[in-house]
Amino acid sequence: MRLALFLVALLAAQDQRSPGYAAYKKANELFVAKRIPEAIQSLQQSLKQDEKLIPALTLYAKIAMTMNRFELAKDSLERALEVDANAAYARFLYGLNFYLANDLPHAQQQLELARRVNPIDARAALYLGLTHESLGHTDQAMELYRESARLDAQVETLLAGARLLYLQNRLDECAQWLRKAVQREPNSRDAHFELARVYLLQDNPAAAAKEGEQALALKDGTAKDAQIHYLLIRAYRLTNPVKAAQHAELIKGLEQ
Amino acid sequence: MVLSRVLAAFASIAYGYEPAPAIQFEEIAKRAGLRFELRNGETGKFHQIELMGGGVAALDYNNDGCMDIFFTNGATIPDLKKSGPQYYNRLFRNNCDMTFTDVTAEAGLAGAGYSMAVAVADFDRDGFPDIFVAGVRGNTLYRNLGNGRFADVTAKAGVGGPKQWSVSSGWLDYDNDGWPDLFVTNYVAWDPATAPRCGNPERQFYCHPSQFRGLPNQLFHNNHDGTFTDVSVKSGIAAHAGKGMGVAFADMDGDGFTDIYVTNDSIRAFLFHNQGNGTFREIGLEAGAALRDDGAAVAGMGADWRDFNNAGRPGLVVTDMINDGFLLLENLGGRRGFKDAGIATGLTMATRPYTGWGLGVFDFDNDGWKDLFFAMAHFTQLGHYLGRDAALPNRVFRNEAGKRFVDIAAFQDAALHRGVAFADFDGDGRVDAVVTCLNAPAKLYRNISKNGNHWLAVSVDGLGARVRVELPDGRMLSNHVTTAVGYNSSSEPLVRFGLGSQAVVKTLEIRYPDGKKQVLANVQADRIVKVAR
Repeated sequence: MRLALFLVALLAAQDQRSPGYAAYKKANELFVAKRIPEAIQSLQQSLKQDEKLIPALTLYAKIAMTMNRFELAKDSLERALEVDANAAYARFLYGLNFYLANDLPHAQQQLELARRVNPIDARAALYLGLTHESLGHTDQAMELYRESARLDAQVETLLAGARLLYLQNRLDECAQWLRKAVQREPNSRDAHFELARVYLLQDNPAAAAKEGEQALALKDGTAKDAQIHYLLIRAYRLTNPVKAAQHAELIKGLEQ
Repeated sequence: MVLSRVLAAFASIAYGYEPAPAIQFEEIAKRAGLRFELRNGETGKFHQIELMGGGVAALDYNNDGCMDIFFTNGATIPDLKKSGPQYYNRLFRNNCDMTFTDVTAEAGLAGAGYSMAVAVADFDRDGFPDIFVAGVRGNTLYRNLGNGRFADVTAKAGVGGPKQWSVSSGWLDYDNDGWPDLFVTNYVAWDPATAPRCGNPERQFYCHPSQFRGLPNQLFHNNHDGTFTDVSVKSGIAAHAGKGMGVAFADMDGDGFTDIYVTNDSIRAFLFHNQGNGTFREIGLEAGAALRDDGAAVAGMGADWRDFNNAGRPGLVVTDMINDGFLLLENLGGRRGFKDAGIATGLTMATRPYTGWGLGVFDFDNDGWKDLFFAMAHFTQLGHYLGRDAALPNRVFRNEAGKRFVDIAAFQDAALHRGVAFADFDGDGRVDAVVTCLNAPAKLYRNISKNGNHWLAVSVDGLGARVRVELPDGRMLSNHVTTAVGYNSSSEPLVRFGLGSQAVVKTLEIRYPDGKKQVLANVQADRIVKVAR
């Protein structure tokens, strides 16, 4: 482990000495600021100065992935991995790129490699888990979510684990994972929404409505308004049919 | 109990004996002379219609007491013509010995155009079942003449237009007048000349349904004189454009009127609640039957609407695409609507790796609990992404007292399965299945489950009639008359019950759609009871 950290530090130092590093750094800042065209321009400059600069190649791939240009991302990552087959982040992104492109067998293979290169990377464990889940290997998936949560209990990981536990009807465990997620990120719309679903299935519509309303009021998450409205229809159905009907109308309004 | 398990294990080791599974089928299509291949006319150009066909019906067209089989078939693309016998729809007569004879030519049922679905009912009440074939840009109604021949009465009946893509159809009596009315589900606006192409030149694939405009469904009222009136607008059905796939009928709230459930592809499903005055209100969202449990729309395929948990109320089962998990919705009754039962019974988790098309909720082992049969196949193009073939074996889930559905891995034979129809083809009281396969031979699964359980089948004149049996041990079972089962297919019209060890039914109650009730007492099991009104 110490050797690995030493090598990473050594490689980072090498990168910083590269003639393309300054342009890469600028590109990264522009990417963070969501100024994508300028970021690409800067990256191209960086790669002209050093076509083997791994951080620039991985950033280029990251940008391509955000634009669903999976083939471009793949090419860039392959160039990075040609320079260094053990470049941990490039290897992870290479696997992630296959996952996002729905090429699950290759995603599994590459994310396993990424885990071997960097066993403490929680993201690699998470996405390998998601890949296994998509392939129907639920036991492996759950084990990897646990491992990812142990390494770094990010909300994203806690949600992935909770969703699988929910599907397995392990509702109490699921609620535990979700409460952890809420604790970690009280403004997570998804965590509140998933918790509401658990309450609804446990025949506790009042608690489901409370969590659902909270989710609806939050912005940060992937759960769509329509999904939350559908939950609230069912939560209010018996106790407040007027409110239930309002949520149904809101969904219909969103469909227009 | 423990001792008996130990003894069974010893017996197994000593004699190589394996206890027979509760539900078993054998595939006998070839042996039975049932030679049919569903041809979709694919050209490598990824036309959407290639994916969707495969309707099959179980019907007794000649009233000899043995269930016959009708298959729909494709056509060449883009002209949508049945350019040769390989594209003919086919009728096979059951010779009453579990062999079949192709009688398509003499019946006059080869058809024209690109056929998708079949629905069977005696629309003119002459005692012979008639056939409605839905397809791409053309639907056809065949009247059974009672002499082994059928006549195309589409124009006279007024059920042919407009020319659009219909995927499923079904017969119901929505106004309780005793005459079958017709419901047609329409998918999307599609034209081979203008349909979008998806993917890129190197790798084309079938488009997502979002690339197409959805269509409203149709309802035709039976005028009792061989004609129908299109009441789609008047009834409120046409107010809802969807991407209609399967259709199922049941009286969900016991108000005496048949309701309609339509699965849609990648948008929410429709639940048309019959208002009892010739109109329907779409209440899928309010009833909790429109979407997956997390509020996402599924790529809905087939549906069956049955009392799967012996609660006395029909619940919904819906097939869909990989990673959706098939829907199992418990009917809580009245205002309480539907509740997801797929998580608690294990069905959601168990079906997430699959894509399902046809289905049926029948008691295959006659133990008193209705089981689930799913016709399976992924979309062809998914093979690359999943790293495995799109062909799948069909699956049967055994109902364990309404609490769990357990995959019994009944089949190993993978194919691109589509429609499935159910009937007791060999008259032994066990429900068999006939399944279509894309560009491959159809399958006939004979139910050979060995358990000595008793059964009862009830022949009732009246679509939508609800039948309830009370067993001597106090259990109540319920079912209803419908031929609309699964995906673009039509099953036998009998109402079946598995009775377990009970050889007698204490009471058999029939509630007709017009409100009349009939009760029979002490009905002997293991037979078909014909109930005359």
